[in-house]
Amino acid sequence: MSSPRGNPPPAAGGSRAGDADSADRPPPPVPASGHPAGRTGWVEWLEQRLNLTEIFSFLTHFGLVYAPIDRSRPVREVVRELATQPVPSYARGPRVLGLLAAILFGLEALTGVLLAYYYRPTPEAAFESTRTIVRDLPAGWFIHEMHAWGAYLLVAVVVLRLLRLFWDGLYRAPREVLWWSAVILAWLVLQLDFTGRLLTWDARSYWSTVRGMEVVWALPVVGPVLAFLLGGRVVNEDVLIRFYVLHLLVLPAFYLTFVYLTFSTLRRVGLSPPADSGPEGTVTFRHHLYSMLILSVLLFGVLVTLATLLPFGFAGPADPYSTPLGVRPPWYMLAPYALFQRLPLPAWVTGLLLLGAAVAVLLLPLWIRERGVLEPRRLRTAGVAALAVWAALSVVGMLIDRR
Amino acid sequence: MAEPMPPSPASTGESRRRFLAFLSRAFLSLWAVGGAGVVGAYLRAPERRERVAERLVRVGLLEDLRIGEARLVRHGTTPFYVVRLDGSRVVALAAVCTHVRCILGFDRERRALVCPCHDGRFDLAGNVLSGPPPKSLPTYAVSVRAGEVFVHL
Amino acid sequence: MARRGMAGRLGEVVVALALACATGPAARAQPSDVISHPGSSPAQASNAAGRCGVCHPRERVLFEKSRHAQEDIHCVSCHGGDDRTLDQGVAHGSGFRGRPARSAIPALCASCHASEERMRAYNLPVDQFALYQTSGHGRRLASGDTRVAVCSDCHGAHDILPPSDPASYVFALNVPKTCGRCHGDSTLMRPRGRRDAYREYQASVHAHELFDKGNPRAPTCVSCHGVHGAAPPQVGDVDKVCGQCHTAERRYFVAGPHREGLTRAGQPECASCHGDHAIQAARPERLSTLCSQCHGEPSQQARLGRRLWTEYRAAAQEVDKAAAILERAEAVPLQTADYRARLEEARTYLRESLPAAHGMNEETVSGFTLRARWVSAEIEHEIYGKLGNLRTRKFVLILFWFYVLLTILVLRRFRGRATRVE
Repeated sequence: MSSPRGNPPPAAGGSRAGDADSADRPPPPVPASGHPAGRTGWVEWLEQRLNLTEIFSFLTHFGLVYAPIDRSRPVREVVRELATQPVPSYARGPRVLGLLAAILFGLEALTGVLLAYYYRPTPEAAFESTRTIVRDLPAGWFIHEMHAWGAYLLVAVVVLRLLRLFWDGLYRAPREVLWWSAVILAWLVLQLDFTGRLLTWDARSYWSTVRGMEVVWALPVVGPVLAFLLGGRVVNEDVLIRFYVLHLLVLPAFYLTFVYLTFSTLRRVGLSPPADSGPEGTVTFRHHLYSMLILSVLLFGVLVTLATLLPFGFAGPADPYSTPLGVRPPWYMLAPYALFQRLPLPAWVTGLLLLGAAVAVLLLPLWIRERGVLEPRRLRTAGVAALAVWAALSVVGMLIDRR
Repeated sequence: MAEPMPPSPASTGESRRRFLAFLSRAFLSLWAVGGAGVVGAYLRAPERRERVAERLVRVGLLEDLRIGEARLVRHGTTPFYVVRLDGSRVVALAAVCTHVRCILGFDRERRALVCPCHDGRFDLAGNVLSGPPPKSLPTYAVSVRAGEVFVHL
Repeated sequence: MARRGMAGRLGEVVVALALACATGPAARAQPSDVISHPGSSPAQASNAAGRCGVCHPRERVLFEKSRHAQEDIHCVSCHGGDDRTLDQGVAHGSGFRGRPARSAIPALCASCHASEERMRAYNLPVDQFALYQTSGHGRRLASGDTRVAVCSDCHGAHDILPPSDPASYVFALNVPKTCGRCHGDSTLMRPRGRRDAYREYQASVHAHELFDKGNPRAPTCVSCHGVHGAAPPQVGDVDKVCGQCHTAERRYFVAGPHREGLTRAGQPECASCHGDHAIQAARPERLSTLCSQCHGEPSQQARLGRRLWTEYRAAAQEVDKAAAILERAEAVPLQTADYRARLEEARTYLRESLPAAHGMNEETVSGFTLRARWVSAEIEHEIYGKLGNLRTRKFVLILFWFYVLLTILVLRRFRGRATRVE
């Protein structure tokens, strides 16, 4: 993947003084097809044996490049053209949420792999291996906290992106796929958070998962099936290992699929201009790339600061026979938790409501389309109201059962 | 960098810019160096450092060791045999073959340590009797205090 | 169980006569099936004392609580006479033994308790009498001294309870007091040249374990001196009992120089340093002062004692330092459960060095104290390292932010060039 980090000139040729050169002389002419003029190097050597452009195109399906790529052109040309392509200025601002999500996911994947080298997924060893990582290994605490805070920010970014897409009405044709994959990505991130939380097997996360599983179980029809797939209602070593497999293999695989889907769709439909766009400025793609690079450096700095100053840490090891005070489900499950605990309705009714709401969110483009185009303002108001209700329920969920 | 620099009054500015560009790139590559350092330090599997107090091993009571018998003490990464030669003499030698690190077995009749992998043999002083092992076995000092056998690794 | 003087007995007779006059008619009117005989049903256990209890109410009250009363033993079983009548002449008539003489009491008890046929049903031992006759008490009694303990002095005469009953005189926690009735009475003991062992025992750590902590397995008088075969302690005899519980100390002691030396000098093995009754808890600081009491000053033994104490103290201090730093770490909070386990390991080594000191071998003792120190030092070193790491993190964070800002400046410069070019 052509990562924005550590690779300033997008020329695939490594460490050449490209900038200093192009400052003094005009860029070489781009041939329409076929052979480049003059340049021979290892890139061309490879190109005679492989279709590098096709590989490049495939890699960028997972991110970074929004425009389609002509696979018949040599890769140097393609890259140079990309670099000089104009990028509308509205590609910044809230639009970067998707890129941030991708960067954060990459960071989570990297730190997750590093953590998995030392983590052992059995109830006896889980807490001790986590403790070894955090307390004993050099930089182990850093990797662990980056993973924890990265997850927190990733959830925030993905949810914000969803809200942003809704606000800008970007669920309508021809980009319904974008909306669906955004919703599913948000679900997947929440699932990743939920499964990852249990893995430390410390007292708070264990019991918080137990209460979360109660919420899952109470969903009608889907609930028991999900609980069955997750290893049963009692949180024991089977549940732990299934959560481990889901967290490491299954959910990231789905996630990557939907990231791919998102970028393919974007390349198909292009970035959308906002309804109320101001004067359009453009910058080159290279410029845009540098901006994104600066943004990711800032993001990294923020993460490192959070990791150092506000470590999550963990409480003592999980004891299935002793529940500490004040444990509640993870924050995103507080709203359903409040509903289940406090509504006089039977649990299956509230579960049905929740499922219905979740599915309605997913299928938003369909019922919007069927009923004709509603006014954006009314939709936005409805959305804000729903969000407010959710937030209020979450606050309620936080306050009940307080001891 | 195949192009020759044009000899012009702008060349000093040119070389300064090149130098700055090089410096900037070197600076940025520090990120890669730092990241590699952090990840490398983390990945270096911790040599489960042998704790100091494990260097003096209490094997057990002398009267529990039969004369002529060897006992394998499974001590971390340095297992060893304790052999009671007669009423008062006890020897301790490593149980790991010096050839390919298989664990030796004890042959009571011949009073030798035998390796199951390639049939290397050692006597109770650690010398190689036959087979492929290149070096003799390390032996450890044994002290018997108040009826208890201690081995100093 | 006070011995009553003549006046007391007279008073009791008067009271009994008065009672007999007062209750006589009523008593005579009682139905005859209330009379208790051997072989009558257990429901009449409350009448075990029979009519004797009318004149002897105090004894009746004591006896009815006892184990014997539950087993169909009656006053007449030991005292003879007739318990069906209030007529003293008849009651104290034929076969009446009255109060048995002290020298006759052991044989009287043994008439049942040395009989295997009788005791088999209860699975009780039958060797008490035989042992008693070998004991100091028994031998003195046989030679005519009646001011020694007989069965009733320790077990009680009428209110005999099994040793497992906390109210029994021979319940573990009550044994020292029972023995102490004589052995703690200086008017009795001094003429015989005996010390006040009871008072000494009360000051000991064994008594503390027994009385203050209520541990019935703590040693009492009978643990060392024997129960029925209590012989006067001779040099070395009782000392060997110490090793039955304190096995490690015994093992090291036997391997050391003191055993031969003390035996040759005719001194007790354990009691020479620890005392016999007033044994205190181990105080390792005594290593520095005790040796000179026998070996004198200056002597190489006294120096050895001081060296042992110095080593022990250094190790103990190191262990305390490690414990302190674990407290600090937990306040941060750092997870320290595994370090606590290692601290226990260090403490165990330290504790083991004290039995090892009985062998008077410096190498052995330092084997333990050094290990205690090494483990503690390791704990301290590692925890200090972790605490230090926490501090450096914040400092490095500031440096890191300088680096981040510099990077952003450089990147902006590159970006500016990119814009300018296109």
